[in-house]
Amino acid sequence: MRAMIVLATAALIGSVILSARQASNSGEHEARWAAPAREASRTNPLANDPQAAAGGRKLFHQRCGTCHGDDAQGTQDAPSLASARVQRQSDGELFWKVSSGNARSGMPTFSFLPPLQRWQLVLYVRAQARGG
Amino acid sequence: MSVYRIVLLGLLCMFGNVVVASAQERAYFVTYDHYLEERGNLEIAFATTTGLPKNGERSYTAPWLELEYGVKGWWTTELYLEGVTTRGAGNGFTGWRIENRFRPLRSEHRITPVIYVEYENINEASRIQKEIVGSGSLLFEPIAELTEEHAHELEAKLILSSAVGAWNLSENFIVERNLSASEGFEFGYAVGVSRQLGRLAKSTACRLCAENFVLGIEAYGGLGSSEALAGAEQRHYLAPVMSWRVSDRSTLKASAGIGLTRNSDHALVRLGYSYELPAWRHR
Repeated sequence: MRAMIVLATAALIGSVILSARQASNSGEHEARWAAPAREASRTNPLANDPQAAAGGRKLFHQRCGTCHGDDAQGTQDAPSLASARVQRQSDGELFWKVSSGNARSGMPTFSFLPPLQRWQLVLYVRAQARGG
Repeated sequence: MSVYRIVLLGLLCMFGNVVVASAQERAYFVTYDHYLEERGNLEIAFATTTGLPKNGERSYTAPWLELEYGVKGWWTTELYLEGVTTRGAGNGFTGWRIENRFRPLRSEHRITPVIYVEYENINEASRIQKEIVGSGSLLFEPIAELTEEHAHELEAKLILSSAVGAWNLSENFIVERNLSASEGFEFGYAVGVSRQLGRLAKSTACRLCAENFVLGIEAYGGLGSSEALAGAEQRHYLAPVMSWRVSDRSTLKASAGIGLTRNSDHALVRLGYSYELPAWRHR
């Protein structure tokens, strides 16, 4: 009986994983990790607010530094956020990526932070590209 | 393993570590949202459920230790060890659970689904009430008798969760099957809404500022089974919840649930502490 329970559990978990992987390969915005156009066009309401940028620095160290490095220059686990590939994206795209995460690559979803705090993170990422 | 050993193990895990990581612990105790553990991170949590039953039954406290690990960005697994202690009716180890949560979609959507599968090897003395399914009240025989009655259970949840501005809205639909007895399929639910208090993060480190607090409310209960809906026998609770991010790695949370039906306890008071260890690859 116990063996059957273990087998049934394993089969259930396996089927869920398979269906999850299949589902992650479908969907309009799943083909590549790109923000929808409407999201990409959003502007940062905190632009030119140095006080907000300082808060972004603190948030970045708390939430992002472990993977991206405290200076946002990247680690072996996550890319540099000062790179041209990241910096050429709009504020709206960065905000969307921070908010939405990428379950496939391991990028967490940060939509539990209030929107203004996510914009603070975007400010900090921009500041790093300018040398902090 | 006695309840006290579980407690001791939990405390050692919590206070014996000084390594760093970032944490996002949900404020809810019962309701799940769509935020999974970060890949490679291990969260160690210790929590208790204290029940104040009706009809002069003895109050109880059920502690549990929770180890949550992010296997992948889309897959989190958890192990629970649980126990119970009562005033005058004994105490004991009430079993273990292993759960897995899978997020099938890569990015967040208006409603983000998560699939939850759990296996429980518990006994009838279990009181942690991490979810409530079916109907009927708790059993109040001596703990030593209840721990003799084992149950193997499979549980599945459909978790739907949304981020709306600074708010989180989560709905869980639960179905459970006792593999040790013919009880049909039992159903339950949990719903919650919460939000972080702060809007902007301050530039300086602070512990008591609003950005470290999350407030919310959750409702949960059983919805009968495929063999008996038994509306009058169901248990339902409404519980305000609060979490406080004590440090970058640890969170305290509390909840005071109010029983809404005849079979519910007067109150379920829950306390929890969690500590997050960073991805092993960073250590």
